[in-house]
Amino acid sequence: MIAGERPLWRRALLNRFVLAPAAIAVAVVAWNTYVSTHNQGVIAGRVVDAAGAPVSGATVVLWILNFTTYVEKSRATTDDAGRFVITDNDSHNIRLAAEKAGIGRSARVPVRLYFRAEDIELSEPLVLLAASQG
Amino acid sequence: MHRYPRWPIHAALIAVSFFMLVPFYWVLKTSVTGENIFAYPPAVLPKSPHPFYYVDVWYYIPFARYFLNSVVVSALAVIANVVFNAMAGYALTQDFPGKRFVLLLFLSCMMVPFQATIIPAYLITGRLGLLDSYWGLALPQLSTIVCIFVFKASFDAVPRSLIDAARIDGLSDWRIIWKVMMPLATGAIATNVILAFIWSWNNFLWPLIVTRSAEMQTLPLGLARFLSYQEDTTGALYAFCIMVLAPGILLFLMAQKEFIRGLTSGATKG
Repeated sequence: MIAGERPLWRRALLNRFVLAPAAIAVAVVAWNTYVSTHNQGVIAGRVVDAAGAPVSGATVVLWILNFTTYVEKSRATTDDAGRFVITDNDSHNIRLAAEKAGIGRSARVPVRLYFRAEDIELSEPLVLLAASQG
Repeated sequence: MHRYPRWPIHAALIAVSFFMLVPFYWVLKTSVTGENIFAYPPAVLPKSPHPFYYVDVWYYIPFARYFLNSVVVSALAVIANVVFNAMAGYALTQDFPGKRFVLLLFLSCMMVPFQATIIPAYLITGRLGLLDSYWGLALPQLSTIVCIFVFKASFDAVPRSLIDAARIDGLSDWRIIWKVMMPLATGAIATNVILAFIWSWNNFLWPLIVTRSAEMQTLPLGLARFLSYQEDTTGALYAFCIMVLAPGILLFLMAQKEFIRGLTSGATKG
């Protein structure tokens, strides 16, 4: 080896042809690790009325995209705090809506996920509006 | 010190680069917004960009499978191009009877479009039992005449005395190629890698002819399939284009210095 020259292993490993693919590989592994630990298909959220008060006993319906149309996948009912949890989502492109007799129904809210069956907590509650308001 | 200021040249190059990059920017912008490309006035900056069209592409078609197929076929084409073209390029630097005829034959074959030879290529591939296989997909791209000439130009630039010295030291032609010529031809290797990769990666017609099962299709065929599935997803379509283009752009950006050196090597002598 010539004095001042970098050792062979450094020249072989520390170059852009190795470092760029290695960085991509690390990112792919990290992303897939995250996906595999957050893909239980759990969707949680809240249902409130027009005044913002929690609604218990409301029915929340999950629609998933099936090729070109949305089909109903499952339903859940809110608890006393107005919270609901759906545990069997297997799609990345879904819509959610809530309804309760006597109070009204919410708009069908589109929700896009970063991967299939991503576990999410809705940041905004589903708001029930009377038919005249909706 | 330069005799003339260089900033006008740089300014002109930046202006030209800007106009050449606008279409790429537009594709990228549309892939994260999905806006109508015919909207007027057009929005220069993306409004509410999001990555969900890329997610759609990943799940609407078996993107990972198509990507794997394209990677395998391109890898076969790249490796075979470097090996075969280096051998052919070295042979063309040697003197042998009929060399001029071989060179003319190669040059004339470059004028025959692939579409004209696709039926015999298909029949040969079928006789070899390689239809609907990775080797069958890569077969017509295992060597390309342009890349042979890239190696030839690079090898021609190596002093003859160096080859003679290697021969006196007892090296065979085979070892001269791999031990003497190839380390001096990194530009030609990079050019071969990039051209073989891009041609193989973007190839549409041959995979369309030679594949029979959906599992063996490559990304360009996936794009056609995607178009037949989805009619109104501008954003997803552009996201697909970005996902197909990205590996080729990355490879070029990594090896652009060697690529340009490889294309220009042999252009001047002395």
